[in-house]
Amino acid sequence: MQDQERPWTAFYGPSVRKTIDAPQYRTIGDFISATADVYGDLPAFTACLPNGMNGTLTYRQADEMSDAMAVYLREVAGLNAGDRVAIQLPNGLSYPIAAMGIFKAGCVLVNINPLYTAEEMVKQFKDAEPKAIFIVDMFADKLAEAVKEFAIPTVIVTRVAEYLPAMPKAIVGLVQKYWDKTIHPITIPHIRLPDAVDAGRMSKKTLDKGLEAYRSMIDPDDVACLQYTGGTTGVSKGAMLTHTNILMNMEQTMELIPNLDKGKEVALTALPLYHIFAFTVNFLGFYSIGAHNILIPNPRPLSNLKRAFENYKITWMSGVNTLFNGLNGEVWFQDTPPKHLKFASAGGMALQSVVAERWEAVTGKSVLEGYGLTESSPVLTFNPFGKTRLNSIGVPLPSTDLKCVDEDGKDVPQGEPGELIAKGPQIMKGYWNKPEETAKTIQNGWLLTGDIGVMDEDGYFRVVDRKKDMILVSGFNVYPNEIEDVIAAHPGVEEVAVIGVPDGASGEAVKAFIVKRDETLNKDAVRAYCKEHLTAYKVPKTVEFREELPKSNVGKILRKDLRAEELSKAEG
Amino acid sequence: MVGPLEQAILALMIFVIMLGMGASLTPRDFTLALKRPYGLMIGVVSQYGFMPLIGFILASTLPVSDPIKIGILIMACMPGGTTSNIFTYFSKGNLALSVLMTVTSTVFGVILIPIVLVVYAGALDLDIPRENIIATLVLLLVPVAIGMVLRKFNSNVGAVTEFMGSMLAIFFILFLIVSWIPRNWEFLLTTTWATYFGSVVLGLFGFALGYGFSILLKLHPRNARTVALETGIQNGPLAIAIIAFTFAGTEAQAIMAVPVLYSLFIVITSTMVTLWFRRVNTANEQPLPNGLL
Repeated sequence: MQDQERPWTAFYGPSVRKTIDAPQYRTIGDFISATADVYGDLPAFTACLPNGMNGTLTYRQADEMSDAMAVYLREVAGLNAGDRVAIQLPNGLSYPIAAMGIFKAGCVLVNINPLYTAEEMVKQFKDAEPKAIFIVDMFADKLAEAVKEFAIPTVIVTRVAEYLPAMPKAIVGLVQKYWDKTIHPITIPHIRLPDAVDAGRMSKKTLDKGLEAYRSMIDPDDVACLQYTGGTTGVSKGAMLTHTNILMNMEQTMELIPNLDKGKEVALTALPLYHIFAFTVNFLGFYSIGAHNILIPNPRPLSNLKRAFENYKITWMSGVNTLFNGLNGEVWFQDTPPKHLKFASAGGMALQSVVAERWEAVTGKSVLEGYGLTESSPVLTFNPFGKTRLNSIGVPLPSTDLKCVDEDGKDVPQGEPGELIAKGPQIMKGYWNKPEETAKTIQNGWLLTGDIGVMDEDGYFRVVDRKKDMILVSGFNVYPNEIEDVIAAHPGVEEVAVIGVPDGASGEAVKAFIVKRDETLNKDAVRAYCKEHLTAYKVPKTVEFREELPKSNVGKILRKDLRAEELSKAEG
Repeated sequence: MVGPLEQAILALMIFVIMLGMGASLTPRDFTLALKRPYGLMIGVVSQYGFMPLIGFILASTLPVSDPIKIGILIMACMPGGTTSNIFTYFSKGNLALSVLMTVTSTVFGVILIPIVLVVYAGALDLDIPRENIIATLVLLLVPVAIGMVLRKFNSNVGAVTEFMGSMLAIFFILFLIVSWIPRNWEFLLTTTWATYFGSVVLGLFGFALGYGFSILLKLHPRNARTVALETGIQNGPLAIAIIAFTFAGTEAQAIMAVPVLYSLFIVITSTMVTLWFRRVNTANEQPLPNGLL
């Protein structure tokens, strides 16, 4: 595409490169070491627990410890370049040591949701075939179950309070063991993470060549991460993200985030790092500018974030709609919003306009919405600072092309809805072991997102909805997002999800699931409110009140679970 | 009844408990309290309006000696105890409100406790060493301030201190049971029923009035439970410390009987109230996602 075909570049800031030809580094390992040399003794990561207890690693420490971890993986555990290593950890100081160690060893990182059941773990193990795994002690009992089905030779166990000072570490350990009772005896052979680091340090002394040797064996286009996703067709697949994919996406995204003071930013990471957005932007992106990253092991309940906001001068945070909505409702947050915050960024799911507006009213700062998919490492678009448009996912990143196409793959006229397809250096290599799925998703170099979008005349995009979430009411397309946005603006509503349910007369009917904020809210009031703001066919035919809505571990509301419930009800 | 060693241990415990309370605070918490004067008002009214009044009525109607009357009054005028936060948690109350009420009643106590005490003691014709009490209360703000500074200086030291403080509040009860009861059997057996009655009923009336007051103000049941527990549960260790530091000899020993008995029985009554709250109130309750009050 030529420049004139990327109208959105006009909205980039003056210092923003319109295209980025190649990443600054060959591999993620090179990037990590080189960055650590620049920021040395600045704090890189702080794990902050709900009670305020915390531990910190500097850039130099994280670099040295992950060097040792890389040596451990290669020399002691006997892994080779390209071997998969799983990480099943909540946010904490072990995460960067493990992840950076894996990259430096030339191995492939496989993020696994720590809350997965043994059964789900087995499925992912069988597909990715990891040779080693990092796991937190709280979940080691599930691993003991899972390895019966798929054996993993090297198991490295860590704890939530790993590398915290002795007293807090002891207190957290005792509370977890005797009060929460979340730690069970570990029955499988394993090594503790600090012991693995020590073993790696010992082994490193006997190494005749430096760690560069591991990295030189891999190519920038080799896979760095297998990032699993439900994807556009439902089956869990591992997206193969290369070193170039991830490094480029990190650079592309940081390029569009202005006013960053290198070595001075403080980022709050409440999203789990195993989520690709937190991984690329929070973990690597903010590492690249020398930021101090505050890692929250468990953001639920939201009061767990209170100490982090009190104790650190947070300048930047990322989140999903649910997180912003929740914080908007917390009294302590309303009364003392973070003073030093420059802005927040949202991704992962549609940001409701009422949530964005309330956030701005509470904090005085804007939420910049971005958009992307696991398959695109993940960021494709972002709202340029100061030129934010509500309800818009912003403009494509440098060197990224995005367009809307119809069922036949032909471009739709500007302003018309069509499936979003994307091209750029951040698009994955394909799905692991699933060439057919890859062929369905990447066509002629374009990634089919499965989302319906619209481009305005300036090149700003708006996501209308997921293609498969679209509801067909008597031949009309109804997009759940639009209805959710309206209902969410009702003051009596805490949360809402809208789906299509089978309906004899019209094929499908709109159904809304609502969590009340105001106890007196009733169904008629909701429908009346919708009638004021929506065309008749979009008004939910049925409304159901719930105590809570099904959510993914990053807080994304799961419409598919609600749909499955409705379908099983319909089938009796 | 309380020897010099025990006094020293008590003083140290109080110091750490107050240090812990300080470490849980930032200047933000005070802005928060001032921004929500409604919660503050309820806390102050129930803590320094109702409780001292209950104490006064008990002291003036029960057939007890002067030292016991002073004990009842002092106990009634204390700020909320940190254990109320624990019971609030278990009764599914509003933890943020509980902490806020404990903190504000402690801070405002420096001014309000002496005033209330002097007024009621005057009405009962009792002699209270006012200056000493003020001095003790002011002195107690020192560890609170140190706690706040500790946290600012090092968040880990702050968090550990806070944890230790809340643990000690529980340990304090154990300390009484293990150290004080075995050596004071005789006292416990010879104490009149009226002293027992006053010590136990003070807390119970506190729960009832706090709850009634909240229902009257149409607070959410969750907040009503919190206010009830917060009102009934007083800072026992603080009362003992004040008595130990401001009275002397046998008089001090006699006065101290009330807070000691109160502290022992409040654990039992709070547990019962908490169990009752859990059973009766939480069944069909809507969740309260939003707001302190």
